[in-house]
Amino acid sequence: MNPAKSYAHLFSPLGGDAGDNYRAPNVLTFLRSTYVALNAEALKSSGARYAFLGVPFDEGNIGKPGSEEGPREFRLASQEYFSYWFEYNVDLHGTMVDCGDVSMPKVSPEVARERIYRAVREVLKAGLVPIIVGGDRSMSIAAAKALSDHIGSKKMGYFHFGAHLDMSDSWAGERNLAPCALARITELPNLAPGNVAHIGARNSMNPKDWIDLAKQRGIRFNSMFELLDNGIYPVVEKAIDRVWKGTDAQYLSFNFNVMDASAAPGVTSTEPGGLESREMMRIAEMIAKRKQVSVIDVSELCPAFDVSGTAARLAVCVVTRIMAALAKERGEEIDARIRRSDLVGS
Amino acid sequence: MSANMDHIWKFVPHQHQGPAQQTGADDHIYSPKNHNGAFKSRGLTTFMGAPYCPPDRHAIRAMGAKVCFLGAPWDQGQIVRAGTSQGASGLREATTQYFSYMFEYDVDLLTFFKVVDCGDIPNVPGNNAKSHELIYRYVTECLEGGAKVIMSGGDHSLPIPGSRALSHFTRKGKMGYLHVDSHLDAGPDWAGNKITNCSGPARAIELPNCNAENMAHLGSRNSLNPKDWYDFYVDNDIRVVAMGEIIDRGVEACTKEIFERAWRGTETVYFSWDTDSIDISCMPGSTSPECYGLKAREAIQLAKTAGRYGCDVLEVVELAPYFDVSHMSIKMAANMIYHYLGSRAKTLIEQGKQP
Repeated sequence: MNPAKSYAHLFSPLGGDAGDNYRAPNVLTFLRSTYVALNAEALKSSGARYAFLGVPFDEGNIGKPGSEEGPREFRLASQEYFSYWFEYNVDLHGTMVDCGDVSMPKVSPEVARERIYRAVREVLKAGLVPIIVGGDRSMSIAAAKALSDHIGSKKMGYFHFGAHLDMSDSWAGERNLAPCALARITELPNLAPGNVAHIGARNSMNPKDWIDLAKQRGIRFNSMFELLDNGIYPVVEKAIDRVWKGTDAQYLSFNFNVMDASAAPGVTSTEPGGLESREMMRIAEMIAKRKQVSVIDVSELCPAFDVSGTAARLAVCVVTRIMAALAKERGEEIDARIRRSDLVGS
Repeated sequence: MSANMDHIWKFVPHQHQGPAQQTGADDHIYSPKNHNGAFKSRGLTTFMGAPYCPPDRHAIRAMGAKVCFLGAPWDQGQIVRAGTSQGASGLREATTQYFSYMFEYDVDLLTFFKVVDCGDIPNVPGNNAKSHELIYRYVTECLEGGAKVIMSGGDHSLPIPGSRALSHFTRKGKMGYLHVDSHLDAGPDWAGNKITNCSGPARAIELPNCNAENMAHLGSRNSLNPKDWYDFYVDNDIRVVAMGEIIDRGVEACTKEIFERAWRGTETVYFSWDTDSIDISCMPGSTSPECYGLKAREAIQLAKTAGRYGCDVLEVVELAPYFDVSHMSIKMAANMIYHYLGSRAKTLIEQGKQP
């Protein structure tokens, strides 16, 4: 046990001048982490592993608006939680920083995409894992390209969670909208079709050309019925295998409409017939077993439709559970003897 | 209070008197004959349409009540968002949408237990200690009146005075304590405050007749569980059945285990049930709802299993109707209690016992 390190944040607040309730931060950041400007040198010297990026961008949506408010809601919901996880006996404190929101020009989507791309590249350049919270799903196009360019000739894997295939080659002539996300990402030069996974597809917001294009490119997607018929965990395990097999970097892209509408009402395009939260929690642990991930994004959170913080809390729990389970996989469990200092010996 | 109020049970529902009153003793368990009766119509909105009884031991005995409902609109003992002071009203509201007869157990809860509503416990805003003292006194009155207590919160600081009342009432015997919750709630204190909604089990173990071997926690998950809370269970060797284990083993087996632990060598059990043990999709109307929880069918299975063992105080807390959707949370809370009571009644009848 390192006596120089303070463990106070693992425990209930101790009172006194610094004894604020944990829900009253000075600055609203992801899990009360430190704000660090988006600069590779600053990020590098922070010593953190993850950098949070908000992307309040809503100009790639073709359906309901509202995901612009996603990053703020995600940060708010994260105030309800601690960095300590009793289920894994790990502590995420100090492992992440918050780089604020990528500034959005408004009515200039091309500029916005460029800024998202540059922000993600900057984080990757510093050697941190970006946690990107949107924003509509078109942001994944810019962010995945940033990872692809960052790793150069190395290979990447990509995991798409969602109820929709998002394989629109173009939508009303536009090629970088949310429904085009997977179509654009599967064109990246160092992403082989065999390293792409998609789970949760269902219902009829999946026009025929999306299915056709997926087949044409050899993209294997596991529909919701397939998950239910063949067992969620065995099918997901195979999907995870595809993403991590022979790849140097892995991109996890979550649209929580992969969940049943009851488990995540606060997303732009809810769909019935999806996953339950306990299933997603297990999947988060299964992913962490692979010991590494390069980028995590969460898109399409829409607080205007949320109920009692359901979707935002789920999103926070999934992302932080992956982080916590990864920490355990890396053997970063904290010393079992650590106790509240004021209680030791009492 | 008159010496014998037992006659009140000859005319149920109790609150529909007047020109069109129905006077058949069993009218309330059948479809209405002349008008809607107490179903969705009401005199005073009480829990289960039960008669009001003053929270006084003599009055409770005189009415022969075996179950007292107590509302505890106290939400200043909590560390998260406010709103549970409306919980008891929401729960009463939900019961107007139900019959007191439950076909699953073939019993009329109202007349079997002679349920009464003792109203809400008053409180002193800004003063946790005084408010807890009032809760202690009201629960004590109900127990001294010979009734079991159903207490509706209110925040989860209620078990602190509640379990103290049951502990003192059972002073000669041992007490078991069960905490079903997504949060471990075992803070030695919170910023120096020892009686918040996150210290229930930590205070219970300090009671003279409550031991770690008769305590258990069920339903814990996610990271609103600081380390000192978990350390409490590890260091005291108290059983924690976390959510992953419930999913693996099934809710019935896990519930049996904790109730058997609580009843081993004890005379009474305090059962503290936080609504956030239930999944946020089935219980949005809670102050600190969590994903990855019990689904509605599992919560009802838990209530049914608990009914086979019983308890002397059942407390349903952190119900916050402000955050509810389509009444699903308040109806869920009503069903947690109804299925517990139904299963309890069926068990007692099978054992040839009276409540």
